[in-house]
Amino acid sequence: MAHITINQYLQQVYEAIDNREGSFCAELLSFKHPHVANPRLQLASPEDKCQQVLEPPYDEMVAAHLRCTYAVANHDFVEAYKFQTLVVQSFLKAFQSHKEENWALPVMFAVTLDLRIFANNAEQQLQKKGKGQPSEMLEKAAEQLMSCFRVCASDKSVNIHVLCVCVDYNSHFMHYYISCLMDVLVNIDIFNVGSRAGIEDSKKWGMMFLSNQLFKIYFKINKLHLCKPLIRAIDSSNLKNDYSPAQKVTYKYYVGRKAMFDSDFKLAEEFLSYAFDHCHRSSQKNKRMILIYLLPVKMLLGHMPTHQLLRKYDLMQFSDVTKAVSEGNLLLLNEALSKHETFFIRCGIFLILEKLKIITYRNLFKKVYLLLRTHQLPLEAFLVALRMMKVEDVDIDEVQCILANLIYMGHIKGYISHQHQKLVVSKQNPFPPLSSVS
Amino acid sequence: MHDTVSFVALCYSNPESAKEQERSHSQRRGAPSEGQWRQRDKEQWQGEGKAQVRQADEEEQKPRQHEEDMVPKGTCQTMCPAQELRDREAQNRLHHFEMLPGTEKDRRPKGDPSRAVKEYSRPAAGKDSTKPSDLRPPPVLLKTVNYLINDIAAAPSLYPWTEVYTFVFDRLRAVKQDMIIQRMSGLDCVGILERTVRFLIYASYRLCGEPLRLYDPRINDIHLQEYLSWLLDCYMTKTGPHPNQEEFQSLSLLYNLGSARTMQHTMQLPLRLRSTPNIKLALFINQAFLERNPVRLLRLAQKLNFLQTCALHRHLMTCRQDLLLVYSHGYSSRNCRFPLDRLAKLLFLDASLTAQLCRSCGVEVNKDNQVVFSKAAFTEPGQGTLHCKLYHSIASEKQRDLTVKNIVQSCVETNKK
Repeated sequence: MAHITINQYLQQVYEAIDNREGSFCAELLSFKHPHVANPRLQLASPEDKCQQVLEPPYDEMVAAHLRCTYAVANHDFVEAYKFQTLVVQSFLKAFQSHKEENWALPVMFAVTLDLRIFANNAEQQLQKKGKGQPSEMLEKAAEQLMSCFRVCASDKSVNIHVLCVCVDYNSHFMHYYISCLMDVLVNIDIFNVGSRAGIEDSKKWGMMFLSNQLFKIYFKINKLHLCKPLIRAIDSSNLKNDYSPAQKVTYKYYVGRKAMFDSDFKLAEEFLSYAFDHCHRSSQKNKRMILIYLLPVKMLLGHMPTHQLLRKYDLMQFSDVTKAVSEGNLLLLNEALSKHETFFIRCGIFLILEKLKIITYRNLFKKVYLLLRTHQLPLEAFLVALRMMKVEDVDIDEVQCILANLIYMGHIKGYISHQHQKLVVSKQNPFPPLSSVS
Repeated sequence: MHDTVSFVALCYSNPESAKEQERSHSQRRGAPSEGQWRQRDKEQWQGEGKAQVRQADEEEQKPRQHEEDMVPKGTCQTMCPAQELRDREAQNRLHHFEMLPGTEKDRRPKGDPSRAVKEYSRPAAGKDSTKPSDLRPPPVLLKTVNYLINDIAAAPSLYPWTEVYTFVFDRLRAVKQDMIIQRMSGLDCVGILERTVRFLIYASYRLCGEPLRLYDPRINDIHLQEYLSWLLDCYMTKTGPHPNQEEFQSLSLLYNLGSARTMQHTMQLPLRLRSTPNIKLALFINQAFLERNPVRLLRLAQKLNFLQTCALHRHLMTCRQDLLLVYSHGYSSRNCRFPLDRLAKLLFLDASLTAQLCRSCGVEVNKDNQVVFSKAAFTEPGQGTLHCKLYHSIASEKQRDLTVKNIVQSCVETNKK
């Protein structure tokens, strides 16, 4: 592979296409394959050669791919990205023409994956040069794409109405990537259940992979609400349980994280637990990533992780947080959060961990209740407890507010009597277990 | 290499909105019109690849010049391009703020070149909005904005402020259009955007409660969010110094109270910036909101200055309602007696307004001025029954001697050119 001539390469591509060998064709177009390091293929102008051997649009596709290898050999990811875009677009033309067959799916996976990677690298390269702006038009563009996706999906003919949208010049890479991905999704025609194609031949099999790619982008650019239509689409698909385990784990991971963001912790726990349990034992790194999000959710539901677990996955940042929450120790919680602030912020869980404050208050106040052994607790007692935890800036008014909120949320069963300055709790189960409170 | 425009496959269920968006977006970056794009599509497939490699080489040598050739550069030195002034004068489409004094009652009033300001106009097919003589360069744009603020928005006027607002809003939109067409970025934009954001935040407070036909808070909000977004982007991409960044990051947090996205963005700012007093205060207020502690939130809000309170004010109704909701549950008992005065203090309202608010939420106040909280009684007030304007005391007290000019130009000494 690393030494074949351009003619031999093109011949192999031609045969792969002719024989509908999706996986092999994918290899010949993938940057994971050694052929990309072959200098004989890194041509500046391969178009003529390609045209001699291949039919359109495959000739354009492969020509762009070869130019891409040239660019990558020169470490120019900006150029590489541009050419990879052409690869995907040419591929789409071909894909569209494959009526009722899906042998080219592996090719789609390969070229879209490389597209995303180059988009990332290109942006980084630009950032280093001092160009590249955070993209705002991305949201608008992707929004419009999703509208398109919806309309096209329900309309069987691929009716792409092309309009001009202006995009920030410097960051059009990520945006362009999304537009290419959406083009592919549009072709998948997911709402066409009971389609002419049999299930094995359906292009629907590409849906989860593509959605996962899109999720990665949306999370990176912090526009999570854009995940919703994709989730809806997969949910309504009859194939959702039949995708490969790897794809399902990735999918559940992102959907779980989205649920976390929406404060739907029960759902988040369900999805992230699935991802964690089904993630292969050998992928320690992935398991750790899932755990970073699963832990806060479990803690909010009252389940603290064991020391062993934290040590096993190298997540000791959570150990002080865990201790603080169980003990109702607000001081320690604040210290723990600020000590590992950078890590928590980078992972995007800092704000969720702050929600643990409410749980911490609940645990602290439960201790007060257990200590005083009465159902009529003076408000002063809570104030004293807080002062002992070095919480200085809370006064009796705020204590009442905190208690009222805990009652409203169902963490405490009872009521406050302002006249008697007491919290009167129910004689039965005044502090219901955290997991029972939504 | 120089795709000045990127293209996206779009399909709209509502063709009107599609066209509208298309135009405003293409206007934003000076895109070629639809017909031109189709042609480029073909070129792309056929020959761009080759051209790109050649271009890439040339580009290495002269990147800057090539870029500059493609971007429209304005040359108009007046606030309104001469051609437009002539046209509008002839068509009797001058605003009374732009008329030569003494000619207002004429059949065809004359325009005052020192007071006419380029108006916003929708991009249209076939219309060239990139003519240099119609575009105002950055210094003129800043001068225009200052004129609009100091001489129109802040000046005493015979006309209601809703009209003043509408005029200034429109003219600022035209300024934004010029900025976009000329691909202005960074420091040039900052001064203009800062003043615009302050103006719109102030307007959101001052015009709160005005009839919809005179002022639409939703439209104000949409534009304010866009300007704010752009401003924060400018801060991110051009390294400082940005003397007002602290102010605007905190305004963004307050205006977008409770937004996880805004908070996440703030958390990722450098520590030095995040620890400045205004941003810290705004973060604490957001935390109080997320923890659902309205007592704390309203207390912290006392520390805000006037403009910050304007930014926050639309959320205050929700916070107060929330307090009543949470207390309705927390104090719910037959014998509940919560002093109205105490509640008024917590809400930072006077007793009669507090009673009024309670009534709107179904919360009972008995004849001894004691509030009888009951979780069954609390009801969400219906749409339009709560008039935010009545409860503006938190902000109005802070306004005192501040003039509009103070508010919008505030700590802008360093930006003056």
